[in-house]
Amino acid sequence: MGWAWLFLLLATYPWLLGADLASDTLASSSLIFFVSGTCLVAPCRRLKRWQAVLLAACLGFLFEARRPIPDGTLALSLVAIAIFLSSNRQLIRNTPGMLWAAAIVNVGASLIWFLASSYGSPSPATDLAGQFFLQLLLSGVVGTLSLIPIALTQNAVLDRLNVPPAPDTP
Amino acid sequence: MDPNRQGARASYVALSIFVALWILVPSAVRRFNREAFVEFQAPALHLLGKSRELATFWEKKSRSVEEMAAAGRDLARINAALEIQINKFEDIRRENVRLREITHYNVPAEYMSVVARVATRDSSSWWQRIVIRKGRKDGIRPGAPVVFGNTVVGRVTAVHLTTSEIDLVTSPGFRCTAYLEGDDQNHIVLVNGVASNSLGTAKARVSVIPRDYSMPAGQPARVFTTGMGGVFPSRLMLGYLDGGTYATQVGNFKESLLVPSRDLYNLQEVSVLVPLHQNPGEALMQGDQFQ
Repeated sequence: MGWAWLFLLLATYPWLLGADLASDTLASSSLIFFVSGTCLVAPCRRLKRWQAVLLAACLGFLFEARRPIPDGTLALSLVAIAIFLSSNRQLIRNTPGMLWAAAIVNVGASLIWFLASSYGSPSPATDLAGQFFLQLLLSGVVGTLSLIPIALTQNAVLDRLNVPPAPDTP
Repeated sequence: MDPNRQGARASYVALSIFVALWILVPSAVRRFNREAFVEFQAPALHLLGKSRELATFWEKKSRSVEEMAAAGRDLARINAALEIQINKFEDIRRENVRLREITHYNVPAEYMSVVARVATRDSSSWWQRIVIRKGRKDGIRPGAPVVFGNTVVGRVTAVHLTTSEIDLVTSPGFRCTAYLEGDDQNHIVLVNGVASNSLGTAKARVSVIPRDYSMPAGQPARVFTTGMGGVFPSRLMLGYLDGGTYATQVGNFKESLLVPSRDLYNLQEVSVLVPLHQNPGEALMQGDQFQ
C-alpha cells in the first residue's frame, strides 16, 4: 500500500509526542528524550525503500520543526540511515539485531542533532562534554527500551494495512 | 549486480542530489517546510494543554467536601488580605493620577498584552524554550518581550499560526541590556543566556559590570531592563546576581551569573507584550531563520 508510510507516521506520532512530554519533565536538566531514530528501525524491515525514506524525512522534520537546528540536517541524515537499513535488512531481521540498530541509530541521530545545534548556536558553549555524553547515553537507553513498544505499535498498523511481513531470510 | 545493492546505490545518489538542491533552494522553501511541520504538530500541542487542564479540573472535582471547605476558608482569608491591598493600591493610583496631572506625564501605551498558556517546555544545551498556545492569529509577533508580572521570562523567537516559541532568559540566544541595583551611576551591563553545562539550574551571564561596582550588602543585587533598544520596557526585573562578581580575563570589567527571579520551567502562563508599532528589532528577527 502506497500510503502505508503516512499511516505509520500518524501511528508513530503519539510516541514522538510522548517523548516531547517526557522531555518537558526533564526540561530543567537540558536533556531530551530522543526517539526519532528508534521509530525508524521497525518500519525499515517491512516498508519499501522509498516509503522508509519518506517516513524518515518526516520524522526528522517533525523533530526539527520546533527546534533551532539548521533545516534538514536531521531529516536528511535519517533518510540516509533509512536507505542503509532498508538495503541491509539482514542486520535487523531478529530482535537482538533490531535492539542494536535502535541503540546505534538513536545515538547516531542524537549525535547529529547535537552537533547541528552547536553549529547553529548563537553563542559558544564551554565544558559541554558531560552534557554531551549524558545526552548520548540517554538516547541510547531510551532508544533501546522504547524499541519494543514502538515496533509493536508500528507492526500492528502495518498488519492492518496488509503490508507483507518481514522475511526471515532476506 | 544484486538489484537491491544497485537500488541502494541509486538511492544514495538521489539523496546526494537532493542534499545539494536542499542547500541551494531559497530559504523561503525551507521555512515553508518547517512551518508546515510546526502546524502539523500544533493541534496535538493544543490538545495536550487542554487535556492537562481537564485532568486538573477532575482532580479538583474529586476532592472531598471537607477539603473544599478548608480551601474555601483559606481563600476567604487570602481574599480579605487582598482587599486590604486593593484599597492600598487604589490610594496609590489616585496619588499617581494626581501627580501625573501635575507633571503632564503621558505613559507610553506602546504595548498590547496577550496572556497565553504554556503548552510545552523544551531545553537542551543549546536552547531553553517554551511553547505557548497563542500565535500569529492572536497578534503575537517575533521579538516581542514575554513577562510574568514585572519579571522578564524571555522573548518570542518564532511565531506560528496558533503557537509561538519563546527563548527564555537563560537561553543562549537571549541578549539584552540591564541596570544593576545599587549602581548609582546606572552603568549599562549586558545580559545573555549561557549554554547550560550540566544538570544544574540554567543561568544567564551578566557582563561588562564596572570594576568599581559593589553589590548591596545583605541581599542579592537585582537586575533590571534598561528599556534601550526598544524591545523590553524599562525597569522590568531580569533576576538576581548570583553570589559575587569576578574579574574577566582582560580585567577591565567584571562578570557575574544571573539567576532568573522566577522558576522558568514551572510557569503555567505568561504575558506577551506585543509592541503596537513594529520596531527595528522585530524586522531583524523576521529575517533570522534559526530563531
